[in-house]
This record gives sequence, C-alpha cells and structure tokens, in this order.
Amino acid sequence: MHSQTRGLIAVAGLAVCAGLWLTPTGAARQPQTPVADAPPAAVDAIPDDARSPRNANYSIDVRLDPDTRTLTGRAVLTWRNIATVAAPDLRFHLYYNAWRNSRSTWMRERELGRGPGLASRPEADWGWIEVTAVRLLGDAGAQDLTDRLRFISPDDNNPDDRTVLSVPMPTAVAPGDTVNIEIEWSSRVPRTFARTGAIGDFFFIAQWFPKIGVLEDTGWNCHQFHASTEFFSDYGVYDVRITVPTGWVLGATGIREQPRDNTDGTTTHRYVQEDVHDFAWTTSPDFLDLSERFEVAGLPPVEMRLLLQPEHAGQAGRHFGATRATLQHYGQWFGPYPYEQITIIDPAWQSGAGGMEYPTLFTAGARWLAPSDVSQPEGVTMHEAGHQFWYGVVGNNEFEHAWLDEGLNTFSTARALAASFTPNHIARRYFGGFYPFVFRDIAWSRATDGNRLAGYRTAARMDAQQTPTYRYWPGTASAITYNKTALWLHTLERHLGWDQVREILSVFYERWQFRHPRPEDFFAVANEVSGRDLSWYFDQVHGGTQTFDYAVQQVSSRGLRDRGFIDGDREPAFRDPIDDRGLTRTTVTVRRLGDGIFPVDVLVVFDDGETVRERWDGREPWRVFTYERAARAVRVEVDPDRVLLLDVDYANNSWTAAPRAGAAATKWMLRWMVWLQDLMLTYAFLV
Amino acid sequence: MPIVTSLLDGLRRVVRAPLILVGAAMLTLLLAVPLGLLLRGELLRALGESVVADAMADGVAWDWWQQFSSQATGLARSFTVSVIGFAAVLVNLSALLDGDGQQPVIVAVVVGYLVVWTVFSGGVLDRYARNRATRSAGFFSACGLYGSRLLRLAIMAGLTYGFLFGVVHGWLFDDLYEGMTRNVTVERQAFAVRAALYLVFGLLLVAVSLVFDYARVRAVVEDRRSMLGALVAGWRFVRRRPGMCAGLYLANGLVLLAVMASYALLAPGAGSTGPSLWLAFLTGQAYVMARLASKLLFYAAEIAYFQSQLAHAGYVAAPAPVWPESPAVEALGRLG
Repeated sequence: MHSQTRGLIAVAGLAVCAGLWLTPTGAARQPQTPVADAPPAAVDAIPDDARSPRNANYSIDVRLDPDTRTLTGRAVLTWRNIATVAAPDLRFHLYYNAWRNSRSTWMRERELGRGPGLASRPEADWGWIEVTAVRLLGDAGAQDLTDRLRFISPDDNNPDDRTVLSVPMPTAVAPGDTVNIEIEWSSRVPRTFARTGAIGDFFFIAQWFPKIGVLEDTGWNCHQFHASTEFFSDYGVYDVRITVPTGWVLGATGIREQPRDNTDGTTTHRYVQEDVHDFAWTTSPDFLDLSERFEVAGLPPVEMRLLLQPEHAGQAGRHFGATRATLQHYGQWFGPYPYEQITIIDPAWQSGAGGMEYPTLFTAGARWLAPSDVSQPEGVTMHEAGHQFWYGVVGNNEFEHAWLDEGLNTFSTARALAASFTPNHIARRYFGGFYPFVFRDIAWSRATDGNRLAGYRTAARMDAQQTPTYRYWPGTASAITYNKTALWLHTLERHLGWDQVREILSVFYERWQFRHPRPEDFFAVANEVSGRDLSWYFDQVHGGTQTFDYAVQQVSSRGLRDRGFIDGDREPAFRDPIDDRGLTRTTVTVRRLGDGIFPVDVLVVFDDGETVRERWDGREPWRVFTYERAARAVRVEVDPDRVLLLDVDYANNSWTAAPRAGAAATKWMLRWMVWLQDLMLTYAFLV
Repeated sequence: MPIVTSLLDGLRRVVRAPLILVGAAMLTLLLAVPLGLLLRGELLRALGESVVADAMADGVAWDWWQQFSSQATGLARSFTVSVIGFAAVLVNLSALLDGDGQQPVIVAVVVGYLVVWTVFSGGVLDRYARNRATRSAGFFSACGLYGSRLLRLAIMAGLTYGFLFGVVHGWLFDDLYEGMTRNVTVERQAFAVRAALYLVFGLLLVAVSLVFDYARVRAVVEDRRSMLGALVAGWRFVRRRPGMCAGLYLANGLVLLAVMASYALLAPGAGSTGPSLWLAFLTGQAYVMARLASKLLFYAAEIAYFQSQLAHAGYVAAPAPVWPESPAVEALGRLG
C-alpha cells in the first residue's frame, strides 16, 4: 500500500452496538458471528495523483466459516457521486443471489442457453447473500436504512430475481457529494456456478460482497446478473481483512499486509489495493505458495505470486512463464502493467473456478496430464493475465459491451501466445476426458484457432455485436463477444498493418485506463490513430450481423474463338476466327456470397509463371476479370493473403486447374477406413 | 495343459490356416470400402477445386476440417481428427469403455459386421477344432451348419452385453463414479477412481466374453444344438478351471496389447499422398491383420485348451460336413 494512501484512510469512528445486527429479509438466517466490534475504517479522501476517480472505496471485514460455507461480512463503502445527476437511491449488486433458486434471471438464461442441468443440483450447492443491515454514517451518527431495502429487476422485471438491491436514500446524493454506507451481510458460498464458489477445502470467493453499481449521467447502470455476461464497477481503494482458519493459504486482490493470528484458531489476512474495481480472494490449506519476479527492461517490475495445486507442482514454470510473457508482450504493445503484484490461482480440479479474471488476481486452469507442446495451461493463463489490461486497467461495461475486454483480449492473447510458445499443437482427451493425445500433424494457428474462427462460423448471424451483451442469445454470446471481435481485429491488423493496430490499442489503453470506455470511444481512437474513417468496417462488424464470404465462382481459359464480321477493305468480312495469334482468353468470375463488404485482392496465376493481382472493392455481387495472353490460368484466389479472417467459407476462395481433391479425399478415406476397421474389431472382441 | 502350450498350439492352428486370416481381413476391408467411398465422395464435394485440397493432401487443413465437421451430417460426422494415427485406436477403446454412441450408419455397419463375423466364426472354430485343412467347401458348410446356432448364442450375448452397457455401465460411471468423485479436487485421484471402474467393467466384459467364448467352442466342438446348453456348459467349464481359463485369456490379452503397442509406435500420422499414402494404408492394414490374428488366436488357443481337457486334439463331435454335389452332377448320376 502506498504510504500516501495510508494517510488518506481515516477512521469513521462510529461505534456500532453489537445489538444492531438485524434480522435478514427473506431466506432463513445463518448464525451470525460479528467480524469486528466496530465498523471498518472508511476510505474518505482522494490523493491528487490517484490514477482512477476512486469514487467507490471499500473497507471490509469478512470471516469465512469453511464448515458451514458461510461468509459474514461488514463493510463501509465510501461512495462519491461523480455523475451529473443526483442519486435518490443507491443500487447494489448481490451476485450470489443468482444461485438462490432456479427462478433467478441468471438461472433462467442459463437454462435457455445450455439446458436445465444446473437446476437439478442438490441443496448444498446453492448459494445466497442476505444483507442484514444498511446504515448511512454521518456526523450525527448512523441512520438505519435497512427497512427501506427492496429488490429491483431493471432488465427484465423478473420479480423473483434478487441480484440488484435498491437502497432509497433519505436525501438524494447530489453530484460531487460523498456518502459513507455501512453494510452487514451474510452469505452462503455456493458450489461453483459461475467461477465463484467452493469445493472441498478450496474456496474461490468472487462477487461476494454487496457491490455498488455505476451511476452514469443517464442514471444507474446496475444490471441484474445475467448468464452470459460479467461485471461493471467503479474504481476505488479496497482495504479488506479476511479471517480464515489458521494455516490456510490465502491469496487476494492487492498487496499483502502482515497477517494476524487470532485466539480462536483463525488468522486475519489483510489486503489493500488502490485503483481497482473489484476484489476477489481464494483460500485453501492445500496451495503451494510460490513467487517469482517479473523484470524486463523498460517495464516496471512485478511480483508474481502463484498459488498452485500440489498435483501441478511440475507446472509452476509454465504458469510463471505464461504470465511473464503476457506482462511483457502486453506491456510492450499496449502499455505497462500498473500494479506492483499479480496473483495467479491454480484452481482445484472440478472447482469450476478456472479461467476468470479479477484485478491483480486471476484463475488459470491446469490439467494433471499436460503435454508440453499443447498450450494448456499457457493459453488460459495468458488470457486471464491479459485481462489485467483489458478489463482491469481499461474498465469497460461487461454487461453491455463485453467485447471491449473479452474480444480485445482474445485477439491479444492469440498474438502473445503465437509470439511466445512454439510448437503448439492440437490435442484431444480420451477415457473420460483424462488422457490427452497430441496431434503433432496439426499446428495451432493464431489466425484461426487463436481467434476461434470455428466457433464464430456457426454463430455469425446470431446477434449484432452492438446489442447489449446481456441481451445476446445465451447459447452463442461468447462467439459474438470473444471470437468475432478477435477475428475483426486481426482482420484490421492484416488490413492496416500491425503497427497501426498496435498504436490504436496502445492509445486506447493509455487514454481510457482507469475509466469506462464505450464502443464509440474505441472506434474514435481507431479512426484518429489510423487517420481513416473506418466506420464502414465497424458498422458492419459491430453494428450488424453481416457475414463475409467471397468466392471464385468460375474460371475459364480458352483459345480465342471470336468469330463474325469485321471491317474489311470495302465491306464487312466474315472471319473465323477473328484473331488467331494463339492467345487464350481467361475469364475469372469472383462473387460476394455474403452481405458483408470488404475490399479483397484477386490473384490469378498463369501457367507461364506470371501472376496478376487485382484489387476488388468487394461491393458488387460479382466481378469478372478477363485476360488475353498466351498462357492459361492455373490458379485463382480471392483474398490470397487471407486478410479477411471473418470470411466464413475460405474453401471457396480458390480455384486450381489441377485440383488435388481426389488425392486428398483418397488419403483421408483410407485413414478413416482403418479407424472404421478398428472400430469393428473393437466390438468384435465381444463376440 | 499349461497356458503357454495352449497358446502355442493355438498359434500353430492359426498359422496353418492363413486363408482364414486373409478372409477375415478381406471381410473387414470389404465392409469398410463402401462406406469409405461414400465418405470420399463427401470429401471430394467439399474440397472441390479449391487449393485447400492441397493442404489436405499434403497434411491437415485444420480450419477446413473444422468447417467441414460443423456442417457434416450422418456418416461425415464420424470424420473427426481422431481418425489420425493411433488416436483411431484410442478413441474406439475410449468410446467402448465410456459407452459413447456412434453415428447410426456406423452402428448399422458394426452390427452387420458382428452378424457376419458370428456366422463366419462357425467355420473358423470348426477349422481350428479339426486342426486340419477343411477346404472351402468344409469351411462354408460349417459356417452354414453352426451359423444359426451361433447367432442364437450371439443374441444371448447381446442381451448380456446390453445389460452390462445399458445398466451396469450407467450405474458404474454415471452414479458410482459421479458420487465418488463429485467432491474430489485432485484430478489424478478422480482418474484413479475411473481407472479402477474401467478395470471392474473390463473384468465383467472379460468374464462374460470368457463364458461365451467357451460356449461357442463347446457348441462347435461338441456339435451342440441347444445354445442354452452350450452356454451352461461353457460356464461350467470356466467355473471348474477359472485359473487356467483366466490365465489363457490374459495371455491372449497380452498378445493383443502387444499388437496395439506396436501400432502405437508405427501408426502413420496425417502423411501425404503418393507412395507414402499407400505405405500408410498398408501399415494400417497390417495392424488390422495383426489384430484379427490375435482375435483368431483367442479362438484357437481356447479350442486347444478345451480339447486338451475334455477331448483330444482334433476331436469334433460333428462329422465332417460334406458339400452337396451340384444339381447338374446329381442329375448326371441319376442318368447312370
């Protein structure tokens, strides 16, 4: 923690009687154990050199009872209204209530996209959060607001959803005003539903406290929890004290302070972090606690802490290496990682907590059998470490524009992975998904595998990207969010060049760090940096559901056979043929099969080795190129450099006079037949 | 008769009847060819005149393959990356143990193969039991003689395996495994549980297979008409000599594992076209033949062992089948 900030944390000094613990509303109440005698200290001032607005600051005490899987917490939120409108109420996310019952919006949407599997879980798996008291702290004392609490459902009016809590204020909070709110709550940690929860002695605790929404000039932006979207919060300072059994290893957002052992067999860990918009933590008695330092010339050093599952002890280097590569590449391409530390969590098997990002902390995802030439755990580690930049530092609204972090990060991850790890192969797992078999004939490709073209291809028209993310069809939301963005960014890279795209991302990162950019902010930076109006492109890839598909429709190379009357000396004379210079007329017809428009090159290769490259603006439904020369066309390709990675059918982009489809089909037929024969023999073993 | 002696005796019987092995291999290949040609047609249409075909000919066009798979229906859906190299063996074994389904057209072909194999096995068992050449007439006559009996036995086997895969497998892997591992947080522990359940399920398969193997042997060697009786006799035989029967089965199983391990080392990858294509195909067919040989060795070794216990080498209760003369010859005979 910076010493300057230390001085800016003041004690609110408002004693709260133990008897003020109030009865929770709704579900059965868990036994309460006060986590502290007095409310936590409040963060109530902002230094001049703060990197973020720091308008949502939390001071939290929380205690975990692993046996009952309950959290008991108490927080003081210091919130400043930085919008231009007054706030008649405060709105809080209560994410754990998404798993309170099957009537929540999250559960309904999840069922819509992936079926009803989760709803059949046993009672012990479900989780909830109960706010037991809310008080407005002021000079005159604490004003109890608990009776005013009500649940609202601004997105879908679902009366059974309890993921947004409204706290009407006695007096609207005027722009620029600051309020201190004390909140007490208890919750039951679920068996993981959405990468937060517990299994055995492994706890990954995220979205766990009542978290205030974002007040914008148009009002509250505090969405219900949706199945296919993540989060949105304001930046602030977090000072969190977490009490867990003594001996358990704990990792959290922020910088570790000295832990304190209590007399009841517990230890209180303290973590403090400035300029973040969320706080997550994990604890388990089983973690291996390892550290390494990231040091690369030109970038600030970072302490890397790895909490590793013992069965992955041999993969520590892979986790550190992937994190190091991310900090280096992202730092050099976009801008430096601004925090002093980063914590990598290797989640327990079956925890369902893998592959998730939180400020200065993320979960990776390793397997026990992990071939060295397959990018697991590197891929997920780099993706989540990359979110420290896209999500952590540049804090977009993931409810509405998830592509701004997930898409930019998928693109960046693929680029960094390609730059860091080779060879990288495809693998499949057999025997219950445990045993990996590596296909060393198949190299992982940044363009198609890293950008996840296969997933996009089948979902290309499902939603326009500009639709608020929480309104995407749940079953294909990730393809539109992650895959499509990565593909259109990589297409832009191939169209404009990496230097320009790197500059766009770098300026966007620098300009919007610790703020909440919107899509138009990204597009504005792209237009400004490239010096071009790219709206024709963004209108298609972001604004619509257009798909891109260019194809070679037909190619013919024939000797000139023009016949007919041409001007003679005195009268038209019939010629057959008109021209017999031995020339060949080659006609190439290319076609735009999709409704998306993108300029493409057309390459024609002749049998004398000569090549012709044409430029087609791609606007018309079709275009014909004609050549008269002594050579015949042997190959034609539309978009031969594969600039347009969004092309949903690249196989139809080319034509060759000597197709090898027959040879290829025979080869794979023979391979497949051996598989079929083996299958027959496998079952013949039984008779 | 020791295990090794039975195994070697069985091996001799297999080696002395090479045409059976060749015939079995041809049967397997001929059933695969029509479907292979259908698949080839689909691949040909999908690749067309595209230069992507070059990549598929010279190696793997992975992006195209994923596109093809996403649009594939029916037979083409079985054209997955797992057909490459030793993955083909792993995915099939994994599918068997995990109870994974196959495309309906593939199921139909496999069932058809099992029916043909069952009929074919009558001639095979008879040949190995006689331990002398029976010529094609005798072989096919035995196929006809024992075919319907063995099919009846196969129905009983099918019902038993149906119970194992339909009920026991679900109980082991859906209920027991899920229950035992639901709260396990260490992957290798879960894998150990799964491996143990594979072993349990595998032993059940082996036990059933063992009994039905000897039921087939007794049905043919003792010329039994009642397949229920043959099954009981097979069970009785195994029950009275569990160590030897299991040991011989294990020895045969080790031979099969050796074949599979060898293929794991030699299996061709995606490869290219030209001579290497045919070399890869021949390697694949050599593996299929080796695997068939090991299957035949199961039969021959079990017959050798059975005959050493309850008969003598070469004993078969049924008279040597006589192939009837053609109608023309019979007509000529009547003239005389």
